Amino acid sequence: MSEKVAVSFKINGKEVTLLALPEQSLLRLLRENGYVEVKCGCEEGDCGTCTVLLDGLSVKSCVTPACACQGHEVWTVTGLSLQDHIGQLLRNNFAKYGASQCGFCTPGMMVTGVNYLMNGGTADRHAIRAAISGNLCRCTGYKKIIDAIFYTAEELQKEAAG
Amino acid sequence: MGYQFITAGSVPHALELLKEHGQAARIVCGGTDLMVRLHLKRLPECVFISIRELEELRYIREEDGWICIGAGTTLGTLENSLLLMDKAPALFQAAQVFADPNVRHSATLGGNIGNASPSADSAPSLLAFDAQVVIAREGGQRTLPIREFFTGVGRTALNPGELVTQVRFRPNPNSAFVKVGLRSAMAISVVNIAASVDLAQDGVMRDVRIAVGAVAPTPVRAGRAEDCLRGKRPEEAVIRQAMDALQADIKPITDIRASEGYRRIVAENMMRRVVRKACGICEHEEGSDQ
Repeated sequence: MSEKVAVSFKINGKEVTLLALPEQSLLRLLRENGYVEVKCGCEEGDCGTCTVLLDGLSVKSCVTPACACQGHEVWTVTGLSLQDHIGQLLRNNFAKYGASQCGFCTPGMMVTGVNYLMNGGTADRHAIRAAISGNLCRCTGYKKIIDAIFYTAEELQKEAAG
Repeated sequence: MGYQFITAGSVPHALELLKEHGQAARIVCGGTDLMVRLHLKRLPECVFISIRELEELRYIREEDGWICIGAGTTLGTLENSLLLMDKAPALFQAAQVFADPNVRHSATLGGNIGNASPSADSAPSLLAFDAQVVIAREGGQRTLPIREFFTGVGRTALNPGELVTQVRFRPNPNSAFVKVGLRSAMAISVVNIAASVDLAQDGVMRDVRIAVGAVAPTPVRAGRAEDCLRGKRPEEAVIRQAMDALQADIKPITDIRASEGYRRIVAENMMRRVVRKACGICEHEEGSDQ
């Protein structure tokens, strides 16, 4: 049996130290410790519902070694939609445009959407489609998800223009 | 025993750890391949040596006409590199269709070649550029042509205690990459292919290098197809001949993603497309060619 080791990192703005197995994924570590907003889908990097921000970039937590997060910064959909301005706007637009059907892909879609908008993504449906290409929605509700990200980008552009 | 996870603080430290743990040692960086194998219970107990914190392995730079890329550089960095876009479009295009945008934030160039999958999307471009792999080892380093690096499915010429630190090549703006997968993202290539063409002013291809993935146990150069093209113009009759010749260069198998026959048809059609693209001949562009 592997021995658990302490991993310290920041999650949703808060410093934590969690005990992780050396072979454990960030996904499993987070869910074990109550961050169940990070969903477990395929666990092979295919579906994208476990996406989180790691040091400001969207990554799939199921293929991220938990121990590699030592000293780094993780944000989940909950932290982003409560504490981050872009996350809040996007959350509101997911609700407004009905971008959630069964809801299972939503956490990953939102984090990937925030990553797109944080890194200068614009109201461009083609680019949004490419940005979420690794996130699957099996209800196939892509149009509304793309709408929500699109209109959030428009709002951000308006804000920037003052 | 179980698994262990150790974070290396420098390249020399990683080499020490490799020596200390011998056969049990396994280098990890992005983790996007290893974590899947762990999940599928296809990775025996080992000591992970993480090189993820090594900033010294994350760079793209130009040196004396070479493009040098650190092994820890992510595919996400490659897909945003203006240097690669201008001077090495084959690798730039491969980075843009590699896995998906989120995996590209983690996956590294060193990991992609070190994992030695026959369908590795970075491999055909590197083969077409005749890239060199720089390998650190105790007391120094050695350099290996990428052609000699891949030795089989999941196998490389790396010896125990060695670490890939850099990939370098002489870039060529007349180069291109195309891929066919079963989905527009996260698709393991059914076939991927790259071409690098030394194009003379009069349109003659003085030299051509073509490399194909997912059609043999390792990514391969298409020597017979190259022979058909060398010294000629990229005209349809010439390309047709090369397409026929390509069939003797490849040895695809039938697997879960595609049959041998399908791979053969796809490979020759993609060869036409990639050669024309490398020569700057405009044609219908579908981006990732799904």
